[in-house]
Amino acid sequence: MALPVPGSEIAGAEVPVGGDAPAPRATSRLRRAIRGNRKATVGAAILLLIIFVAVFPGLLAPDSPSAAVYAQDASPSSAHLLGTTQLGQDVLSQLIWSTRQTLFVTLLVSVIATFLSMIVGVTAAYVGGLTDRVITVIIDVFLILPVLPLLILLAAYLPPGVTSLTIVLCITSWAFQARQLRSQGLSLRNRDFLVSARVRGERGLYIVLREIVPTMTSLLVASFLSLAVYVVGFAASLQFLGLGNSGQLMWGTMLYNANQGAALESGNVWWALAPGAAVALLGASFALLNYAFDEIGNPALRRIRRRRRARPTA
Amino acid sequence: MPDPLLEVDGLTIEYLTDAADVRAVEDVSFSVGAGEFVGVVGESGCGKSTMLFGVAQLLSPPGEVTAGRVIFRGQDMVKLSAGELRHMRWRDYSVVMQSAMNALNPMKSIAAQFKDALQAHEKLSSAEIHERSARVLEMVGIDPAHLKSFPHQLSGGMRQRAMIAMALLFTPQLVMMDEPTSALDVVAQRSLMSKIRELQATLGFAVIFVTHDMHVVSRYCDRVLVMYAGQVVESAATENIFERPMHPYSRGLIDAFPTVTGPRRELVGIPGSPPDLAEPMSGCRFQPRCPVAMPVCAEVEPELYAVDSSEVRCLLYTDVDRLERRADG
Amino acid sequence: MADRSQATQGDGTVDAGPAGPAKREPLLRTEGLTRRFRVGGMFSKEVLHAVDDLDLTINEREIVALVGESGSGKSTVARLLARVYAPTAGEIYYRGRPVRELRSRRDVLRYRGEVAMVFQDPFSAFNPVHRMSHGIIRNLALHRRELSGEERRREAERVCESVGLSKRMLARYPHEMSGGERQRIGFAQALALQPKLILADEPVSMLDVSIRAGILNLMVELRDREDVSLLYITHDLASARYVADRILVMYAGQIVEAGPTETVLSDPQHPYTRLLLSAVVDPRDADTDFSADTGEPPRVINPGEGCRFRWRCPYAIDTCQTVTPCLRPLGPVQVACHVAGHLGEEEIATPAVTETN
Repeated sequence: MALPVPGSEIAGAEVPVGGDAPAPRATSRLRRAIRGNRKATVGAAILLLIIFVAVFPGLLAPDSPSAAVYAQDASPSSAHLLGTTQLGQDVLSQLIWSTRQTLFVTLLVSVIATFLSMIVGVTAAYVGGLTDRVITVIIDVFLILPVLPLLILLAAYLPPGVTSLTIVLCITSWAFQARQLRSQGLSLRNRDFLVSARVRGERGLYIVLREIVPTMTSLLVASFLSLAVYVVGFAASLQFLGLGNSGQLMWGTMLYNANQGAALESGNVWWALAPGAAVALLGASFALLNYAFDEIGNPALRRIRRRRRARPTA
Repeated sequence: MPDPLLEVDGLTIEYLTDAADVRAVEDVSFSVGAGEFVGVVGESGCGKSTMLFGVAQLLSPPGEVTAGRVIFRGQDMVKLSAGELRHMRWRDYSVVMQSAMNALNPMKSIAAQFKDALQAHEKLSSAEIHERSARVLEMVGIDPAHLKSFPHQLSGGMRQRAMIAMALLFTPQLVMMDEPTSALDVVAQRSLMSKIRELQATLGFAVIFVTHDMHVVSRYCDRVLVMYAGQVVESAATENIFERPMHPYSRGLIDAFPTVTGPRRELVGIPGSPPDLAEPMSGCRFQPRCPVAMPVCAEVEPELYAVDSSEVRCLLYTDVDRLERRADG
Repeated sequence: MADRSQATQGDGTVDAGPAGPAKREPLLRTEGLTRRFRVGGMFSKEVLHAVDDLDLTINEREIVALVGESGSGKSTVARLLARVYAPTAGEIYYRGRPVRELRSRRDVLRYRGEVAMVFQDPFSAFNPVHRMSHGIIRNLALHRRELSGEERRREAERVCESVGLSKRMLARYPHEMSGGERQRIGFAQALALQPKLILADEPVSMLDVSIRAGILNLMVELRDREDVSLLYITHDLASARYVADRILVMYAGQIVEAGPTETVLSDPQHPYTRLLLSAVVDPRDADTDFSADTGEPPRVINPGEGCRFRWRCPYAIDTCQTVTPCLRPLGPVQVACHVAGHLGEEEIATPAVTETN
């Protein structure tokens, strides 16, 4: 139930006004929202931890990740909390040092793909007509692209490594949100404030970037987060299948190496499990933040906490 | 005097949430006699719709009735269980919403929806269902052939009529309407209101009619309640309230409507906005906007004072000196 | 064709308007303005005639009310005049020049700087992420380039106060303001352009009644003080009477009656105008019995020839079925009706043909 905000209809009248202060800054509102929602707090905490590990690996890793000097396939011990690899490297150190590259690729791809889907989706919605129809078809084509055959094809031509990985991930994930952003763009298209912008003579590009996109920030954040969940898992899967460069320090390549090194067969469970768990944890943090943003953005999803109060006697 | 059909006594409705406690309706009392057409008038945020929902027992959390009684056919509806309410609903009283598109299922034909409503409350054969559905559509002026239509195939006016038909399936004694004509154009509005009045004369049901349109109220209602900021500020027979409005808000509201005929006079309106019900208030709630407010109005909250056959919530109609003495001492 | 130009000339001389002698070129004039939309799928033949062959005139310093119900096309007229879409046929003349000829960005911007629009819904007319000053500042940046940043800010404050709001409102966000306050900012935005014409599309319909008076009074004040004309689009005859010098009644995409406000409302000539009036006044005062009319929306899809009101008209004759009436002078007003002036002479008591869709 929206209550009218008290305001003054008369210039300079003494009627008390609902606060002269400008609206609270977006960042402090955000911080308060995160602290208030349990899912957001947990997700943010995990993500911040992972970011910390990515930024300061040297502080945390007990060893160099590539030093192949220890006992091979060793079980976890106080010296090697997660054991060692087939080549005698410390698994924990590898895990820690791989965080940076993994996180970097995840974020890079998510940003690029979100940006692409936003531009394409919103422009299609705004321009409309034939352009819109053509773009929708293109989006659909990308959506139904059979990924695995495409990968095999690309793997044959692209040099294995982070760049190829990034390219492939971007190609296969941008269309995901484009449809949704287009729908949102369509629903906004005839909102009066956009007609108002056209009537005052704003150019199309200005309207898209400065009038439409800013109203979609929550949708864009949600897109970004759901994309990140997808990318984290898929990047690891691609590397597990061999698309990555096995020399690169990423959780996915650790999985690949663990597989190549017959980790599970030789009983070195932690070598395979650790990077897998890390991937899951990162994915989970994005997913939690995504749920939380839904709740923050959409008041209808919030659990309304009723106050326990005794009914006053009539 | 015969017992009133419905008696609302001290009804208070609050929205209790962690964020804020909002008292949307405070201490509303009125009664409705058999066959009476009572109008509840007010602007957005005054609580009239909430009050209607409260009386109809249709509130959902976090809104709830926190005080008062709603006596209908001898029973306090606030205290009834869901099962008992279900038995009364639609047979003894029914509700017509503001927008048919919100209340009618767009995926079902009119016949199917009538059938659902009928079967929920009584066991009837298909022939009886069809017969009653057709009869009720005819009553509101829709060709029974439209039973097979879907809501989107009907015009706005026809949809609202279908809603009213649905409300009359069991010929209840009381029909509560929440702004049923607001979404309609003026000609359709006039047509619908005449039809409602006609049906009321034939079938004899009472109506509680919530609206913001004083013109409709002046033409069709027997009695009027004016609401502001969750309270009833004036309650009177229609001709009294329009010829001699007592509360400054009623007066301001009536004067704010331009007329098509008669002399052209300057419209004044009521500058300012209604108070924020989440904030604590002292004194009369209309005082900040009142053109004839007295200093005491900011401190003492007026009660509903009886003046002839009407009631007004305004300190102009009571012994102010006595109140001031009480406030000081 | 000759007929129509006579009618518009008649319109120019008949309506003196408050500004004085009427032989001056009208500020805005339309001739045969038409806008149609194809509805249904890509291959459907159904055409919606939103606005059909419309001639209207707006002079300087006057408020013209365009009155009609939903489906009458009045909002489409506003959007055509605001160049939100282009007409399917017909022409708009602004200060004598056809608007179609304005093609360069500079010309188009100049037009947009003189013709402003205020929207119906104060809740969706403002971008929720921008402050209230946004629209005003953008208007100034686009159309009054000679102002510096500081001057723009001061001008924004000036127009804000000229609509009766404190300049502190500029820093607020839309959700922090009431509907009435937002509509005032809407007018302030329009004023920032120093326009000659403001198209007000149902500016008070969504406001509480007690707030409407303030906005209606503001409109009259703008006409007098800022020397601007207003096209007030509404479905409410009473508010049209309050603010407008002239009134145009629209039905099914066409103007059916036009003339000075008091004349049209006190002595309506077109049966539809009578119907509208009968819906808002005491039934005992109405000239014609329209009690059977249920307010069904007009047929605007593939309407064909003939008067579009004929199905509901108690006075319809054979000609009405086949010949579309056009706006002709009848004393002080103009009416588009074959039987106007003779209403009541042979009143046909048969009820209008009922529509069963």
